[in-house]
Amino acid sequence: MAEQNPQHGRRQHFHRGRRGQDRRGNERRGPSPAQSPEQGGREHRDHVDVEQIMREIRSRISQRHGIELTTQQIQELAARRLEAILDPRTVKPSLLEQIRRSTTTPVDAPAAAEPAYSFEDTTLYDSHRGSLRFIRRLLNPLLKLFFNPNPLISALNAQTKLNQAAAQREAERDRRQAEWNALHYEILHRLVLEVSRTSLEAQQLSMRVDALSAKVDFAERRARSIEGSLHQARPSPRHESAPPPASVAQLPREPSTTESSSTPAAQESSTGEGGRRRRRRRRGRRPQGFTPEGAAIGAGAAVVESRTTEGGEPPYVDDADDDEGPDAGDEGEAFDASLSPVEPASASQAEVGPEPEPPVQPAQALAPAEAPLETQAESAPNEPADRPLPTEPFGD
Amino acid sequence: MKLVIVVQRYGADINGGAELHARYVAERLATHADVRVLTTCARDYVTWRNEWPPGEEIVHGIPVERFAVTRERDTIDFRDRSERLFRDRHSVKDELDWLDSQGPTSPTLMKRLARVADECDFVILFSIRYGPAFHGARLAAHKAVLVPTAERESSLGLSIFPPVFRGVRAIMYNSFEERAMITALSSNADTPGVVVGIGSQIPDAVDPERARRTFDLPNPYLIYVGRIDVNKGCADLFRHFIEYAERTTRALDLVLIGTPVLPIPDHPRIRHLGFVADQDKFDAIAGAEALVMPSPYESLSMVALEAWALGRPVLASARCDVLVGQCLRSNAGLYYEDAREFAAALDRILSDPALAATLGRNGRAFFTRHYSWPVIERKYLDMFDELRRTPASSDMEPLPGWLARRARTSPPAADVVNALPQGPVVERQHAEHR
Repeated sequence: MAEQNPQHGRRQHFHRGRRGQDRRGNERRGPSPAQSPEQGGREHRDHVDVEQIMREIRSRISQRHGIELTTQQIQELAARRLEAILDPRTVKPSLLEQIRRSTTTPVDAPAAAEPAYSFEDTTLYDSHRGSLRFIRRLLNPLLKLFFNPNPLISALNAQTKLNQAAAQREAERDRRQAEWNALHYEILHRLVLEVSRTSLEAQQLSMRVDALSAKVDFAERRARSIEGSLHQARPSPRHESAPPPASVAQLPREPSTTESSSTPAAQESSTGEGGRRRRRRRRGRRPQGFTPEGAAIGAGAAVVESRTTEGGEPPYVDDADDDEGPDAGDEGEAFDASLSPVEPASASQAEVGPEPEPPVQPAQALAPAEAPLETQAESAPNEPADRPLPTEPFGD
Repeated sequence: MKLVIVVQRYGADINGGAELHARYVAERLATHADVRVLTTCARDYVTWRNEWPPGEEIVHGIPVERFAVTRERDTIDFRDRSERLFRDRHSVKDELDWLDSQGPTSPTLMKRLARVADECDFVILFSIRYGPAFHGARLAAHKAVLVPTAERESSLGLSIFPPVFRGVRAIMYNSFEERAMITALSSNADTPGVVVGIGSQIPDAVDPERARRTFDLPNPYLIYVGRIDVNKGCADLFRHFIEYAERTTRALDLVLIGTPVLPIPDHPRIRHLGFVADQDKFDAIAGAEALVMPSPYESLSMVALEAWALGRPVLASARCDVLVGQCLRSNAGLYYEDAREFAAALDRILSDPALAATLGRNGRAFFTRHYSWPVIERKYLDMFDELRRTPASSDMEPLPGWLARRARTSPPAADVVNALPQGPVVERQHAEHR
């Protein structure tokens, strides 16, 4: 787009390098700390910084549109695409240029076709010398004694008229062809322009999707860390059930020893397919507990969860998996890993964790420790549906 | 103190930027010195036709001597010469011929200047791109105070100008951007210079309501004042505004004041008031939401200064370094590069009255601080004092000899200008004001 830039070919700013983001042109449009409208409003009550306002404006424009091209730049882009389509190896550049010119200049009406020659009955005897013309006319009757020139004259006269008509037709055809060429070029040009616009738009949308998915990822991570902090806030159910309170107090230290091995990657590799399966399940369930809508659904999920626990799978398994990652939520899984002396017989066993203690009844295991979580899940439906997220929203 | 002012045209009804500038300066300095104006008989800056009689007359109390122009401009010859000089390598003689072709050429004016230069203290010459200022500066270099009114246009890249920038006694710049450009072009850091600009004659009282009634302007409006010309960026302005009007729900009109050279689009939101009286113009500006200045080439926009003087914000083209620099230095205007920025900046001004008011206040303060007449007069007088104290440092470099003048050694003028640094000057001005 350098051609489009009015500053193209000009040197940099007087104070190049001094003003950082304050340089002209695209450099000036670089990302800058956006100022909230409130801040701006508060600021301009006392003082206005035009440069800052312009940065805000440009930043907003670029955020709104992603790829920012002016109409002229899009047209330039389209022109280049058109040239790429009309391969110069197969289409003469001069022809393209000629057609392009013909679209901008109106097609002239064909000039009246000049007859190549005219042939009348006097043409045979014509001369620029008057005396010679007179002598020929004088001797004309004598000439006609030798042959009849009339058929010759009429034939050539008719040929002249035919030539004129043909020339006119040719000119008209040329004019129409030029018009068609111009029309075709214009249509093609507009189509390419539209395609360019559409592809840019698609690109913008794709960038937008990327940005949104990044936000979603971020939101997930944030939710996971919040979830982890909740787990940190309450003791693990299994610790509550078996060991005395003193040993429970020591438990938080244990994850730190195994934390390095309980990173997501490590867990993936160590748990293999089972880990992947757990991740899939988590993704399906996570939003229920941590969004207002999910909280409402969470009540149903709690029922399903309790059914699962009744089936023999301790409930802490999912909770521990949910806390996968370097946050405090690793506690459960790290504990499982550190306590598993034998190879799990199956994925479900691995998830449950072959604890040395006798298997406890899920309901019992849950009773003291899971209470906060269950309370949370059960109380969620009673909360207002539009309850704000615990932290500031991650959206726009 | 005796001052002689040389300018290509002069008259009470001449509204061209440099000519009006010259008249204002003459009238203001007349309170401090004996001022005399030397000018031509031309009224039209395109043809340079002699329309005033030669001789002396008094214009607003200033004695004005007029001299006949020897020939009118041949526009085709001038255009061809311009294209050649701006695009191709050429000789100094080509440039001098171009200057003559541009006009106005008045040998009698030069003869008179040669005589009066010895009698006066200083000769103030306006607009370097015209013959009277160029030849006058060379003729009276030891007393020449140049007001270049130079813009970033190709003619500035001609090689005949830098020696003049280096050889005059002093230069009164219109803006920091102009000074930076000329300094980069001619390396004339040794030549005394000061950024002065020009004030305006703002009426004591303005009445926006009167303008609304007179011109039937019920809606809020954006105003443009000046020649309605492609070179002034008006085509872009129309495009941007129509695009904006199609997208916005605001009832905002674009009001145009000035002579149209460009066809004005037939759009319900675009109003053309034509050429109006000064009081009406000021009333209309005072009633506008903002003044828009789309021109990419301005050495100083008097209209922008007038808007600021009236407390209205300015929306300027970002392609004009001078305007952007003024907006940044004053914190009194926003600028735009394209239609989106135009819309966004305009929306910002319209949707935030507090911001608009602050911009307007800043503009008024900026005008009072730098462009009020006492400030400008003081800068001129200080410069004269300084020049009187210090002798001329060097003589004007002579023009090349007969042979060298014909050597095609000068680069294309457009290339020279394109190679000059560009952008608004901010820090320098701040430092100076500190």
